[in-house]
Amino acid sequence: MRDALLIARKDLLAEYRKKESIVSMVFFGFLLLVMLNIAVGVGRELDGEMAAGILWVSIIFSAVLGLGRVLSKEKENRCIDALLLSPVEPEQIYAAKTMVNFIFMAVAEAVLIPAFFVLYGDRFARQVPMLVVVVLLVNIGFSTVGTLFSAITAGTRRNEVLLPLLLFPVITPLMALAVKVTGGLFEDLPYREYSSWLYVIAAFGLIFSGVGYLLFEFVIKEG
Amino acid sequence: MGSSAAFLRIKGLRKSYDGVDALRGIDLDLEMGDFLSLFGPNGAGKTTLIRIMATLLKPGAGTVRVMDFDMEEHPEEFRARLGVISHQSFLYNDLSARENLEFYAALYRVADPAARAEELLGLVGLSDRADSKVSGFSRGMQQRLSIARALINDPVLLLLDEPYTGLDQSASMLLSGHLRRLHDRKRTIVMVTHDLKRGLEAATKVGILSRGRLVYLKDRAELDPREFEHAYLRYLKGVPDA
Repeated sequence: MRDALLIARKDLLAEYRKKESIVSMVFFGFLLLVMLNIAVGVGRELDGEMAAGILWVSIIFSAVLGLGRVLSKEKENRCIDALLLSPVEPEQIYAAKTMVNFIFMAVAEAVLIPAFFVLYGDRFARQVPMLVVVVLLVNIGFSTVGTLFSAITAGTRRNEVLLPLLLFPVITPLMALAVKVTGGLFEDLPYREYSSWLYVIAAFGLIFSGVGYLLFEFVIKEG
Repeated sequence: MGSSAAFLRIKGLRKSYDGVDALRGIDLDLEMGDFLSLFGPNGAGKTTLIRIMATLLKPGAGTVRVMDFDMEEHPEEFRARLGVISHQSFLYNDLSARENLEFYAALYRVADPAARAEELLGLVGLSDRADSKVSGFSRGMQQRLSIARALINDPVLLLLDEPYTGLDQSASMLLSGHLRRLHDRKRTIVMVTHDLKRGLEAATKVGILSRGRLVYLKDRAELDPREFEHAYLRYLKGVPDA
């Protein structure tokens, strides 16, 4: 884990300097929230699931922006080769990149979720601590899958196009679950109504952590 | 155990891409302290060979052993003793020179990363730019820093892939000086280059790779530079394999 933390620290330092990924993620996510607000009708009362759908579309689409950059940065000057040449195990690189993607998403969400409440009404801000739990579990699922797929596409010419094309079909179940649970929270439903979906979200993250951990070496290295 | 004390032993190394053979059975033994300069026309398989030796590519067949460690069985131990200099800098543009070196030193578990970074910055003449971002460096400065990066773990085996590409005169001299010093310290060096003059000046062994085969290998001491130049030009012009 020491090596993963070193690599993650390096990535976060570079992002702190340039603020490229997070600023573009927040800006794009906010734009989506505004555009969807106009599309459904400003001031219109939405039910919980529809509001949750809007929130997650904004979060996931903005997260894909950051996802592509985390590994493509390593392709500059072939730094990925230097990491693979070092005694660091490829799994540690995967863990580092997953951590960084998770943190980027969490930071963007820290801005986007309050903005969502402002635009769509604070009546949705009913179970905020549980919403934080849901968001963090979805982030784990998204960043574990997303890091693996961004490694697959990082070496391709049409990285930005290919990544969402490959990623979205895989994360659609996660997105559907996230909408279901968040909709329940927005409707102020009791925990037992959505708890089973929450476990599935957690399982999704757990399974793809394992898959990513096992496959990353084969994905990142040339044949 | 190998039958002799070869430091680096390559046996039957093959690699193909989509059915096209890049390496067609390379056999090579190097002793500790050897400096092999490897020449060859474009597409001869030089970079593929270096990338396999660096564990960045898996061979189709054959083995690479260093000090009797099979690189596929013990990749982490193997890489901990390896240094690579390429025409790519392997440097992070958004970090300073010092931060780059400290990061790599920590990855290689160097005892005191800050002290090692300081030492190497001095060695490559970049102490006064230690805290500047790499993105502001010239090509020559980046290559000097990448030399420092490759030496961070004091490697026993150094692989160089066209290291002189894009270097100005002073950076080339600096690199040659470092290579000489490393060679004096019994480091084993394999350098792929098109630069005949620089390739021949420091080498103890000279080879030519053509169409995926090591078609020429001689001790530098036995070599007549004119005869070698003639042989090299023949392979550059695409003389069929013998």
